[in-house]
Amino acid sequence: MTARSLFVPTTLFLLATFLIGPFLIIVAASFSAGETLSFPPQGFSLQWILKVFTVESFRASFAMSMFLAIGGTAAALVLGIPASYALSRYRLPGAEIIRTIVSAPIIVPGIIVGLSLLRYVVVPFGVGITLALFLAHTALILPYAVRVVSASLDNLRSDIEEAAVLLGSSRLGAFFRVVMPNIKGGILSAFILGFVTSFNQVPVSLFLSGPGVRTLPIDMMAYMEIVFDPSVAALSSLLAFLSIGIVFAAERFLGFSRYV
Amino acid sequence: MFQNRAEAFALALPAAIFAAAVFIVPVLILLSDGFRSLDGGWTLAAYGEFFSSPLNQAVFLRTLKLGALVTVVSAVIGYAAAFSIVSLSPAAKGRMTGLVVLPLMISPVARTYAWIVILGRTGIVNQAFQVLGLSEAPLRILFSETAIFIGLLQLFLPLMIISLISALENMPKDAVPAARVLGANWFQVFWKVILPLTKEGLVIGGTLVFTGCLTAYITPAILGGSKVLMLETLMYQQVAVSNNFVAASVIACILIVMSFAANLLLKRVATARNTQRKAAR
Repeated sequence: MTARSLFVPTTLFLLATFLIGPFLIIVAASFSAGETLSFPPQGFSLQWILKVFTVESFRASFAMSMFLAIGGTAAALVLGIPASYALSRYRLPGAEIIRTIVSAPIIVPGIIVGLSLLRYVVVPFGVGITLALFLAHTALILPYAVRVVSASLDNLRSDIEEAAVLLGSSRLGAFFRVVMPNIKGGILSAFILGFVTSFNQVPVSLFLSGPGVRTLPIDMMAYMEIVFDPSVAALSSLLAFLSIGIVFAAERFLGFSRYV
Repeated sequence: MFQNRAEAFALALPAAIFAAAVFIVPVLILLSDGFRSLDGGWTLAAYGEFFSSPLNQAVFLRTLKLGALVTVVSAVIGYAAAFSIVSLSPAAKGRMTGLVVLPLMISPVARTYAWIVILGRTGIVNQAFQVLGLSEAPLRILFSETAIFIGLLQLFLPLMIISLISALENMPKDAVPAARVLGANWFQVFWKVILPLTKEGLVIGGTLVFTGCLTAYITPAILGGSKVLMLETLMYQQVAVSNNFVAASVIACILIVMSFAANLLLKRVATARNTQRKAAR
């Protein structure tokens, strides 16, 4: 073996250990029978996995995170699909300005979005925390929705809908019967990307979390500061498998990576 | 291309108005708060005050230092990793790329939490040190800059590797063998051939990693504790503990200016590459 033929396998082994190792340790720790978080795990049990489902605050914050991820992504798509369509199919004055405005939330750190919403929308207008979280998550996902949907619109030839219109279809009818079926994959990919982004997001929700209203990742961070048992490890593993499962399914059935 | 302007605006404006109302206007008000004096005039006093505090200076410098360090180290590891991955057979390359992307799907809270198990007082590293007799008492690795560095590196390394893989794949296939035939050693090949040809990928990856580090909240919050702060955790403390919204506005402005500068650089590199590609066709 020369030095060079050893270089590639060694590098790849170290890389895999560094990137995936910590995750495997978390998975192993969640099957521990011990009372405190440790590795190697003490014995084997499912008690921490089962305990996750009985913690009241986890259940509430999981429901909140699901609501924000699904509702926020849906709202971002309702706003984003027409905007992407206008940007890619119409000669629109100020198109660049509109594109910059809708994609700005991706450049600005989430913690700033959360704080300014709290100070200048929630407090002065008496907006509820749940609604504020919903608005923040929608704004956060909007840039992803516009980017992914725009990409699939740009890949679709625009003359097929022009043909539909020439053949007597209404503009709206052409959109729903000709364009929509062709960008379905892009819309679903945008939904999955938005869902995962929103679900894992912490800084945006930081200042917008009140008593009893929390997203799951923030609840996990609060819990791990107080309790040092393996339940956060168990919950982390469950969530990780959930998001890996979603992305794998998306890749298999949609060719997710074509759009993202 | 459709010409109807009213229709186009009707489609695009709801999204633009929403983003402006929920996001752009509140953020601009927040930023302007940092430049306001008590009598309503404009002033830079808040910035002077912010940077006169030794704690704030330390946090600012630490954020820059960790960002730079993580970017440089991820570039070094990234080249070795991307080079190895590109040299694999197509099937193995696909699997390895998947393995690099996989962590990006996992919640950053979960990924950071793992380091508590590894670096904590009774963690694997300390157990190993005790067994090997390297240290008597357990080392305090958690809640330090080292812990944050490791956490950030693991979080953002995939972004660098992915950028470098695509840069290396776009490199002319015969560039490296040609340089070797002409007598260059591996160091010269990297410095004079690979680096100039993959510069754009390096800049894109580097910008993603650096801005990621600047605006990191989860990693310093979990691995830095309440003592070792970075800009975002300092901002959180200023608001949640000290109620100091002016300082928060100053930090927000610093973060936004740095992220915008990085994004501008990214955009320029991307457009330069597109024009180059078009010219090559």
